[in-house]
Amino acid sequence: MIGRISRTELIIRVSLLVIFFLFFMFPIYWMVVTSLKNTVDIFAIPPKWFFSISFENYWYIMSDDSGFLKKILNSAIASTLNAIFTLLLAFPAAYSMSRYKTGGINLLMWFLSIRMIPPIVGAIPLFIIFSKLGLVDTFIALPILYIIINLPFAIWMIKSFMDEIPKEIDESAYVEGCSTTGVIFKIIVPLIRPGIFATLVFCFIMSWNEFLIAYIFTRKEAITAPVGVARFITERQILWGYITAGATLASILPMLLLIIFQKNLVRGLTLGAVK
Amino acid sequence: MVIPAVLILLLLTIYPFIYLIYVSSHIWPISPTLPKIYLGFGQFTYLFQDPTFIESLKVTVNLMVVGVTIQISLGTLLAILLSTKTRITSYFTLPFMIPVFISPVVVGLIWKFMFNYDLGILNYLLESIGIGAVNWLGTPRNAFWSVVIIDTWQWTPFTTLIIKAGLDSVDPTPIEAATVDGANRFQIFRHVTFPSIAPIFTVALLFRTLDAFKAFDIIYIVTRGGPGGSTYVLGYNIWKTAFYQNQLGLAGAMSVIMIVIATILAFILVRIMKGLLER
Repeated sequence: MIGRISRTELIIRVSLLVIFFLFFMFPIYWMVVTSLKNTVDIFAIPPKWFFSISFENYWYIMSDDSGFLKKILNSAIASTLNAIFTLLLAFPAAYSMSRYKTGGINLLMWFLSIRMIPPIVGAIPLFIIFSKLGLVDTFIALPILYIIINLPFAIWMIKSFMDEIPKEIDESAYVEGCSTTGVIFKIIVPLIRPGIFATLVFCFIMSWNEFLIAYIFTRKEAITAPVGVARFITERQILWGYITAGATLASILPMLLLIIFQKNLVRGLTLGAVK
Repeated sequence: MVIPAVLILLLLTIYPFIYLIYVSSHIWPISPTLPKIYLGFGQFTYLFQDPTFIESLKVTVNLMVVGVTIQISLGTLLAILLSTKTRITSYFTLPFMIPVFISPVVVGLIWKFMFNYDLGILNYLLESIGIGAVNWLGTPRNAFWSVVIIDTWQWTPFTTLIIKAGLDSVDPTPIEAATVDGANRFQIFRHVTFPSIAPIFTVALLFRTLDAFKAFDIIYIVTRGGPGGSTYVLGYNIWKTAFYQNQLGLAGAMSVIMIVIATILAFILVRIMKGLLER
């Protein structure tokens, strides 16, 4: 913000940053480290900072006994399907709202207000409806339900990317005889490709991490990774080794995607309010 | 071309909402074979006298107010620290974003492990510096603050990102002018920087407020509403009433009340966002 800062201030700033950094990083470090310890080391007091790496938790997690890989796969299916459904609905809506101001600001705000509905409130009537339709614990239930959560985000996000393309570009293409479809696929799509990818990734991560809806609408076959991890808390004991290994596996993908798409994802998080 | 999106959302929100009102006027067991009994507004009048429900409303609001206040304050501090453009801060920004993008279930589980009384790393560290172990999740007061800490860990990065983006977009000219005129740094922040980031600051505040109102995942994983109802938030109350105690009708009535409150909050947010977009 301001150019000149004194040496003391620089030291205060850097040490504050280091404290914040430790606070935000340590839990993740501790999760990964614990997942790589054997059961004896996990329960060791004092905690072991140096230990011999053991993959026993991961072997169990990835074995057929735990069935965790199937839950990861279920998460991947639900999240991918949802990202595609959401994009197919969001793109035309965003295009129309960006280019023809369809519905104006009120429609945009209606979408925003849907983003604000607490999911548990929708879960009760939708659970009764989905039960009647026989959709509970199927692979199609979660991708449909996550549309409610992700579509408002996706529309805002894609629209904010489209708004940055000057309308003159569309107009000159029309003058040269391009059709609307041509404009969309030859001009808009290539120009906002990073935005489209970011939107897909954003919807994917949000679905991947979701717990409440997945917990209510799945029973056995369609259980997702977060529900699977939570199930390692059993009546008798909490299986910390398996939990940290499962939690690490469930976090790798979102973290990788964050590293690749970081800037554009932030935009999604804030509904395009931050550029 | 907005029609498919609008239709799908209407189908998935408005129709269930009307159905929810219908459900909330009945005693409605989960099992479809059991009879449903019409009560009208009976469950609403019951709820307003139900101490558990009133208490869970209070807990939700407390958690929301305390959590959001801390997250906004820390977020502002961190945003100011990160908005100084040096090589260090540009490396620092990415790690700070991780908590927002991992599942709340994972976040809850890591902290539950660290808060563990006997095994937890936090009590070990506190004991080794001579403070002594804290029963993080065992007493009502501590459990409440532990949930606040977890929520703060996950969501401070979110407020930081928004406020930082606001700070980065501030026009430097008036700040330079004020510096030349001899204003001190606090005066500059108070009178020049803050007014120009105030709208985006409000957005961060309202987004967090509405999300905190939905709290469920971390509570479910870490405290299950306890001890002594100290973290028994509305979202958890509804889930438990519906899917644990099999009273969908009563949970439906709670949901109607929750959605009314959420609508009021959302209305305020929409008004402010509209102002922001129309500027």
